[in-house]
Amino acid sequence: MTEVINVKDLTLTYADGTKAVQGISFSVNEGEFFGFLGPNGAGKSTTIKILTTLLHKTSGTASVVGLDIERQAPLIRKLIGVQSQDTSVDPELTGRENMLLEGHLQQMHGKELEERVDSLLNVVGLKEAADKRAGRYSGGMKKRLDLASVLVHKPKIMFLDEPTTGLDPQTRATVWDYLEQLNKSEGITIFLTTQYLEEADRLCQRLCIVDQGKIVAQGTPAELKSEIGADAITITMKDGQGKSDDSLKAKGRQLLQSLPNIMNVVDSGNGLTIYAKDGGYFVPDLVRAFDKSDIKLVSINLSTPSLDDVFLKHTGKRIRVEELQKQTSSMFSRGRGSR
Amino acid sequence: MTLFSDTRYLFVRALKKLVRNPILIFFSLFQPIIFLVLFTQLFRRFNELPGFPPGISYLQYAAAGILLQNAFSSALQAGTSIVDDINYGFLQKMLVTQVARPAILLGRLSSDAFRVTVQSVIILVLAYLLGFRVNTGLPGILLMLFIIAFFGLAWSGISLALGMRTRSAETVFGIGGFLTFPLLFMSTALVPVSFMPSWMQDVSKFNPISYAVNAVRDLSLAGFYSTNAVLESIGVIALIAVITMSATLYMFRKVVS
Ligand SMILES: Nc1ncnc2c1ncn2[C@@H]1O[C@H](COP(=O)(O)OP(=O)(O)OP(=O)(O)O)[C@@H](O)[C@H]1O
Ligand SMILES: [Mg+2]
Repeated sequence: MTEVINVKDLTLTYADGTKAVQGISFSVNEGEFFGFLGPNGAGKSTTIKILTTLLHKTSGTASVVGLDIERQAPLIRKLIGVQSQDTSVDPELTGRENMLLEGHLQQMHGKELEERVDSLLNVVGLKEAADKRAGRYSGGMKKRLDLASVLVHKPKIMFLDEPTTGLDPQTRATVWDYLEQLNKSEGITIFLTTQYLEEADRLCQRLCIVDQGKIVAQGTPAELKSEIGADAITITMKDGQGKSDDSLKAKGRQLLQSLPNIMNVVDSGNGLTIYAKDGGYFVPDLVRAFDKSDIKLVSINLSTPSLDDVFLKHTGKRIRVEELQKQTSSMFSRGRGSR
Repeated sequence: MTLFSDTRYLFVRALKKLVRNPILIFFSLFQPIIFLVLFTQLFRRFNELPGFPPGISYLQYAAAGILLQNAFSSALQAGTSIVDDINYGFLQKMLVTQVARPAILLGRLSSDAFRVTVQSVIILVLAYLLGFRVNTGLPGILLMLFIIAFFGLAWSGISLALGMRTRSAETVFGIGGFLTFPLLFMSTALVPVSFMPSWMQDVSKFNPISYAVNAVRDLSLAGFYSTNAVLESIGVIALIAVITMSATLYMFRKVVS
């Protein structure tokens, strides 16, 4: 297999001293659907900006399609499509004009461009709204327009920074289907960051998990999940007065110490997640232990490990829905980082 | 070479944005029109004062100043559009395409120059209706428009550099508004230099607006060769342009690198 992205010991330190990327190495094969996951501030967008020639790395090496990101940036730009996390469309141009401009700047012209634009507008469901100003589009429509405009010049590699954040579930599903189809039928390599771990699990052939500028895990979703080697049991509790707070979680942890087969216990927001071998056999023990104490179990949820658990294990964080909502309401870009 | 076609696409984009936001043109034209219609009427008996060029109306005198005021204040807003492009991520989106980098700046500058020219034509037509005449005819008018647009271009450099530095449209607007009137009043835009207190006369001598105004005024009142004002003004504007464009290029390189 040919490597289309190769990154070695890449670092980036922003002008204010923030070490956003701290020595990461990975590679992406041609035609791969590659996931780059991590909590907020992990350095995902920064990495994408370096690979897409928008930011200069501090050290390390990186190549895209065999081209050096520093010395051969113009050639790379011809071959990649980049959708940034902060949706950017020109609000005063219509959807179609936005796409035509993008095409023109990518050296496409005439009938070929017009047909391409028409078909893409169709794909993202903006045919009717094509001649309306993009400023009057809804957030989800803008996001779809942005995605479509990135595809105009038929890139070989697509960098998508949270392409479905802020879309309603239906549209999200459509976009995932389309990306899957692009990847499968046209062989386009996709480099993706997302907060939707279930989709990442389903679509990505390989994943990296980054945290605080470092890669903490990489492999296929199956590999990563099997590394956990345990089932996940998530519980919520309350005490005699019906309260549930951190001190109760601490008490719960104490209680769990008496139980066998537990590999790990982590805080999962409103409860605890226990990783234990053979979860099915473990649950009765768990229930008995709590029965004897003054802590009541409110819910028990047993599952085989998911990407969520992988994420939690390596980063100590769960991706929460609140975070997603915060993200969509702040769609303004911070602008380009200075060198 | 795609520089030319890329510039053209971005020029057209800028014009479309402008036409779809007519309120912006309205705002820039509002002040000069008030000056043209009300101010010149209010001060119409200025021409009776000793030291005023004999035999002309105040409107005939002040039109040059109003034209350059318009160019000046429009130019100082030029930076706001690049601030928008930076803050809305559109610049970044352009930068990941193959677009010839200088085209981003050239598209901007050419559309700004075009905008100032159109606004100047509107003011000229209105001034004509009110009785303003240009002695040198159409060639003179074209030369006037060239000087005005060149003047605007030179100053838009300040605004662009400032916009890229601060990334704040408010700052660009604020500084533009802050500079316009002091510089305008301390120039020969609205009154002959002999009307000013002596310290202001000194300021006016170094005020670039004075040079541009004198050239445009000479083209309307006298002829092409009556004074050196035209050549002088082009020299002064070129000097400003070199300075402001260097600043703009420097900032642009930093933003684009
Ligand atoms: N222009 C900048 N100047 C200084 N620090 C920056 C800049 N841009 C990002 N950072 C910092 O770099 C770190 C990584 O940011 P980055 O945007 O790459 O994270 P991310 O993984 O994309 O996060 P998210 O999931 O929130 O999008 C963060 O600590 C962030 O505050
Ligand atoms: Mg990000």
